[in-house]
Amino acid sequence: MAINLQKGQKIDLGLSKMTVGLGWNPNEGTGYDFDLDVSAIMIDENRFVPQDEFFVFYNNVDSPDSAVHHTGDDPSGGNSDGGDDESINVDLTRVDSKIQEILFVVTIHEAQPRRQNFGQVRDSYIRIIDELTGSEVCKYELGEDFSIETAIEFGRLYRRGGAWKFEASGVGYKEDLAFFLSKYFKGQIIK
Amino acid sequence: MAINLVKGQTIDLRKNDKGESFDLSSVTIGLGWDVKQSGGGGFLGKLFGGGEEAEYDLDAIAFLLDKNGRVADRGRSFQKPNGNTVSLYEGDVIYFNSMRHPSGNIWLTGDNRTGAGDGDDEQIIVKLDSLDPKFDRILFIVAIYQGRKNNQHFGMVDNAFIRAVDNHGKEIAKFSLSGDSTYNGMCSMTFAEVYRKDGTWKFRAIGEPHTTDNFLELLKQY
Repeated sequence: MAINLQKGQKIDLGLSKMTVGLGWNPNEGTGYDFDLDVSAIMIDENRFVPQDEFFVFYNNVDSPDSAVHHTGDDPSGGNSDGGDDESINVDLTRVDSKIQEILFVVTIHEAQPRRQNFGQVRDSYIRIIDELTGSEVCKYELGEDFSIETAIEFGRLYRRGGAWKFEASGVGYKEDLAFFLSKYFKGQIIK
Repeated sequence: MAINLVKGQTIDLRKNDKGESFDLSSVTIGLGWDVKQSGGGGFLGKLFGGGEEAEYDLDAIAFLLDKNGRVADRGRSFQKPNGNTVSLYEGDVIYFNSMRHPSGNIWLTGDNRTGAGDGDDEQIIVKLDSLDPKFDRILFIVAIYQGRKNNQHFGMVDNAFIRAVDNHGKEIAKFSLSGDSTYNGMCSMTFAEVYRKDGTWKFRAIGEPHTTDNFLELLKQY
């Protein structure tokens, strides 16, 4: 039975191979496609990305330790009607020992010029699926929590006492992907 | 290094997003640019009053990197017939003083010193399919020769682009890297890279600017 997570809720996962899936349905009539992007920011004990490739997103779909794989960009939410539009596969057994935490963020691409925000997106959610059984472990529906925001940190996997836990963070910002990245990455960001 | 968040700037060289296939037995990396006419000098140009009339000499440089991201062979010093001594000769750096890799699989077609002419101003040709497996990545760099001395920078360069063309002359990808104010004072740029991935080659536009006009400074990281 899947758990419907509330903001701030933490759970023990008890599994190592999972798919983090993201789905959304755009409202009609905004004139543009809604292009939501899911990204994974893998950070070390200093809360920084240790090298470029530990930021997994549409332009870099694999982390160097092969633990995290982005299955590809869906520029319109049209990949599936009702199912996951973008997903990231995670194998926790392979995560580099330097990495303490994996943050999952969702951002609306070109939100500012397109004047879009999460208030215009319906049925958006993040969920974790057990890769072995295909069953849904937990789901966090973003729907009513956000309106004017354009970027959300919706969950994080983190090490605690030798095991991994998941927290439904649900923190929204009126920002873009570069903003998230700049919090955890010291190098140059080209946007 | 830098992370590029711009979409659609990483492509598979063997097959682009339209599903077209390409012949990578040789790939031409073409660089082109135009120089802004006077008046477009920006803050620095006005400040120093220089660089607006002088011709721009942009140089294309390629670093061949191994699996550890290093330039393994830095070549040797060599005395040219005119008596000048050049370094990095016949190593894994392709540039105006060492235009052809000893393997014969990557070379610079010539040194264009003015940016005159439409289309590619400088070209580096790579036989990707023949390239020694020890080479994992090729980094393409463009530097303004003596840019610091001449107060020339990428903020004053227009229509800069990098493109990749396959063996049959089919354009695989073209990226515009034109200057905006963030390029003011920047005299070199990491333009793009080609790298091996899952048995194919990928091409990624980078567009990361640097203040130095000397690629030897950038080479220190590799």
